[in-house]
Amino acid sequence: MTKELEHNFITELENNQNIVHKVCTLYTNNKDAHNDLFQEITIQLWKAYPKFRGESKFSTWMYRIAINTAITLYRKSKRTIITQDYESVIFKIKADEYDETEEQQLKLLYKAVKELGDIDKALVFLYLEDKNYTEIAETLGISEVNARVKMNRIKKKLKTILNP
Amino acid sequence: MDELELLKKDWQKKKDNLPKVSYNDIHQMLWKKSSSIVKWIFYISIIEFVLPHLLYLLPSTRESVDIYESLGMKNFIIISSILQYSVIIYFIYQFYTRYKEITVLDNSKNLMKRILKTRKTVKSYVIFSLSMILFMFGAIVVSIYLNDNFDSSTYEPFVAITKNFSKEKVKPILMAVFAFTGIAVTLILGGIYFLLYGILLKKLKINYAELKKLEV
Repeated sequence: MTKELEHNFITELENNQNIVHKVCTLYTNNKDAHNDLFQEITIQLWKAYPKFRGESKFSTWMYRIAINTAITLYRKSKRTIITQDYESVIFKIKADEYDETEEQQLKLLYKAVKELGDIDKALVFLYLEDKNYTEIAETLGISEVNARVKMNRIKKKLKTILNP
Repeated sequence: MDELELLKKDWQKKKDNLPKVSYNDIHQMLWKKSSSIVKWIFYISIIEFVLPHLLYLLPSTRESVDIYESLGMKNFIIISSILQYSVIIYFIYQFYTRYKEITVLDNSKNLMKRILKTRKTVKSYVIFSLSMILFMFGAIVVSIYLNDNFDSSTYEPFVAITKNFSKEKVKPILMAVFAFTGIAVTLILGGIYFLLYGILLKKLKINYAELKKLEV
């Protein structure tokens, strides 16, 4: 029974690991910290897994735990050392896919998002993952109206960064 | 186009650039220890609860209990110990209930709130313990003031001081020593505790304040 539970969990996480990696990308600045946070999120997911009843999709269930771990439980906060190759792997933008201005814009946008506070990042992350405001609000424990207001503020902030 | 929409389009294509973790890697991670702040708060709190009581196991501390007998404070100590332990049991119960309520499945704001609440229990306990320490030393200082006969005392430091100093000086010296030790112990223990928690909870407090701010 435990073996089966373990196998199911690992398979689910293996298939949905991109979600966790994306959270780690946003909240850490180098490979070690990325792996460290990935491991902590995995432990938290595993601890909570017996309570996962399958009412929602596994991936939906992961978001909350991943965000909670990143902004609340994870002890080490921002690390300043940014490894060059780490940045280029994560934010590599293939030149042939975009025109130059768009590529430039995206680079600036990613940089700007990385500089946001923990809570703002969580909002942006859920937004980028195509979550609606009801889900964003429920995950963070704020009202839907406030989630919208906050998101608009972040949008404005990003706009000014791009068009100074 | 909206900047974020541009970002979203790119973000959702990002799969290829992300690291990959294998089945076996995940399997290994399941048995690693969590380093979450909840774990830290739990361990530190257990130490806070247990440490003062472990001190009694040391022979030197046990000897110092003699001091109360020398000063005729035995009954006072028994009563205050009973009170103290009742309060400690209450704190441990509170701490345990609150700790159990912490779940990663909660929304972020509630999760942070529960962690801070659990921490508050320990904080109150620490303030209580520190007050008790200060109070005990205060009671000793008062007893010394009221007590005139140290000659019969078997408590070693008393014996040494009575031997080396004239009778008028013994009292003020003893009172000063105990007052100073009491304050120093309280400040050192309190300082270590609040520094430790300050570092541990800095990030969480900032994020909680940010979420609270959204409510207004």
